[in-house]
Amino acid sequence: MRILLQHLTKIFPSRTKGGKEVHAVEDMNIEIPSGKLIGLLGPSGCGKSTTLFMLSGLETPTSGKIIFDDQDVTTLAAEKRGIGLVFQNYALYPHMTVQENIRFPLDNMRIKKEEGNARALDAARLVQIEDLMARKPHELSGGQQQRVAIARALVKMPNVLLLDEPLSNLDARLRLQTREEIKRIQRETGITTVFVTHDQEEAMSICDIMVVMKLGVVQQIGEPQHIYDDPNNLFVANFLGTPPINIFKGRIEGGKVYVGDEAISETTHGDGDVFVGIRPEGFIYDENGAFTLNVDHIEVMGRDKSVVALHEASTKPTVRCIIDSDVVLPEGASQLKFNIKPYKIYLFDAETEERLR
Amino acid sequence: MKFKNNSAKAVEADLVLNDDMTVAPKLTFGEKLRRGFKAQSGWLFVAPALILMLVFTFYPIVAAFVNAFKLDYNSSANMGEGIYNGWGIDNFTRVLRGDTGTAGANFMQCLVNTLVFTLISVPLSTVLALLISVALNSIKALQKAYQTILFLPYLTNALAMGAVFATFFQVIGTPEQIGINEGTYGIINIVLGWFGISPVNWIGKGFMTTPYWRIGQLNIPWAKYIVVIVYEVWSGLPFKILILFSALQSINKQYYDAAKVDGASRSTVLWRITAPMISPQISYLLVTGIMGGMKQYSAVVGIFGEQMGRDFDMGTMVGYIYNYIETGASGYAFAGSLLLFLIIMVITAINNAITKKHTTYR
Repeated sequence: MRILLQHLTKIFPSRTKGGKEVHAVEDMNIEIPSGKLIGLLGPSGCGKSTTLFMLSGLETPTSGKIIFDDQDVTTLAAEKRGIGLVFQNYALYPHMTVQENIRFPLDNMRIKKEEGNARALDAARLVQIEDLMARKPHELSGGQQQRVAIARALVKMPNVLLLDEPLSNLDARLRLQTREEIKRIQRETGITTVFVTHDQEEAMSICDIMVVMKLGVVQQIGEPQHIYDDPNNLFVANFLGTPPINIFKGRIEGGKVYVGDEAISETTHGDGDVFVGIRPEGFIYDENGAFTLNVDHIEVMGRDKSVVALHEASTKPTVRCIIDSDVVLPEGASQLKFNIKPYKIYLFDAETEERLR
Repeated sequence: MKFKNNSAKAVEADLVLNDDMTVAPKLTFGEKLRRGFKAQSGWLFVAPALILMLVFTFYPIVAAFVNAFKLDYNSSANMGEGIYNGWGIDNFTRVLRGDTGTAGANFMQCLVNTLVFTLISVPLSTVLALLISVALNSIKALQKAYQTILFLPYLTNALAMGAVFATFFQVIGTPEQIGINEGTYGIINIVLGWFGISPVNWIGKGFMTTPYWRIGQLNIPWAKYIVVIVYEVWSGLPFKILILFSALQSINKQYYDAAKVDGASRSTVLWRITAPMISPQISYLLVTGIMGGMKQYSAVVGIFGEQMGRDFDMGTMVGYIYNYIETGASGYAFAGSLLLFLIIMVITAINNAITKKHTTYR
């Protein structure tokens, strides 16, 4: 099912008298193609969960429209939208068995018990918990509980599957495994899936399309790799990538990009102050390089190594450069010189923080 | 430092309590005994409560048990030592047969009354309290004010409330007096009259006869029953609402959101989600409510007077026991109290077995 959000806005009234109202989501316009996995990504308070709850029907938009295929569902009640929702802490009913939990939406649709049980079993098979049907939620691990929650959301064959921070309550290993699982389930069922996360790595790894949000405003929409390679602004560049991008205060003078006293790159933009963003993998070691960094220490990771360095123009405490492990660095050097890969360096206006393209 | 203090106190107390308690003796037998005493010093801390329990709970239970088997027992005779006429189970057989003299209360009548009052009013008031709590939980404006109003009956004396109920239901005066406004059918009859229902003698006093069914040897004055049940439901509500309302507030809102997305109707949410979520509190209220109901006394006295209706036709189990203590035939009272004890135990066991099956502790 194709989802269209038009000028979607949610304003929460102030809790205190005379206080400021909160603009949780502001003028959101996106089109979600049918059958894709979409990630809403942003730091906490960016309005991503509010967007999800508006899609589900649990929150009513202040203004704007939500359109499923050709039907305007903006004011349609949650249960009539044909959506499945997986809550952050799963919200499994503690007094019901796994089977009863999964069958619950079907019971509400007045589907006969035998058929309900059969469909519940199908859903359980899809998430591989068919052996746990007689257990109660408190007898399950976190990962198993989450699978039950997904099965409960899928059992009514929803048009849209919504997942609120689906991986945040799982430990690191289970998280890796479960995110593959979500991808697999989404592919097998072909259901348009929207999920919310604050973890950029998680979003990048499984999304078909990623929506980066900040303070209720959409910053950029696109395929994860595209957004990573071509960020719209400083916030997006900063938010994506581990380790994060290095940011320097710099300036453009006569077609050259200066950081400190060194001209590290060339540009066609006019003179002025800029933020210079360089991805950690954008450094090439060269003893005659254009960019000099003071080495703090070197971390060896096996596959590659990180030079952790200091630079007075850096907006962060340290500068991190990732280079191949077979590059030989001079032993005990206190300064290293680098050249910068031109497609790994981004310039942002110092005032607006927008990308200079 | 703290430990030293404790043991010093314990030694001090030991001098006083040594005879009553099976604590180790004073520190005359050296280190070994001192250590033994320390191990037992916990008894000292429970001693005040234990002594009160022994005097006011366990002794009376044992005494009642023993005295129930004394024949023709007169507790006040012989300078308070009491006299009796051998041992046997006559008290029990007479109590159960109703062969306890003409003036006194009838055991079976009292038992049936108590069971009917309890088994109707406790579930009814629990369900009502649940519905009211859910309603209260779903409003925002004036929630605190309603909560306070609903709790007020809890603070009111049972006898006083009984008197008020009696006034509501009572028919006063003859038809002639009522005709010239010197008597009244009571506020309830007047209200029922608006709906075309003719007056009923709810309390059983005055010129009208009170309606009743006759079942075997027992009179079932159903109109009077209604008064007691209405009273018990009403007076049982505040505490139940207090417990259920606070339980409702501790339920995570996400369960309701999930239910909404899953298309659950309001009644499905109430009976399949809300009620099971607070099942521990519901079963607590049912168990304690039934125990309390089986010991009902003051409300009936408040409404129907000390004779509990006409010849104890509204008598309760506790009323039965008091009646025979007062008339001096205390053997029946002892036997009756043991039977009541047994009945409460059986009912509670059944209650526990049922509620345990349907209770989920989170």
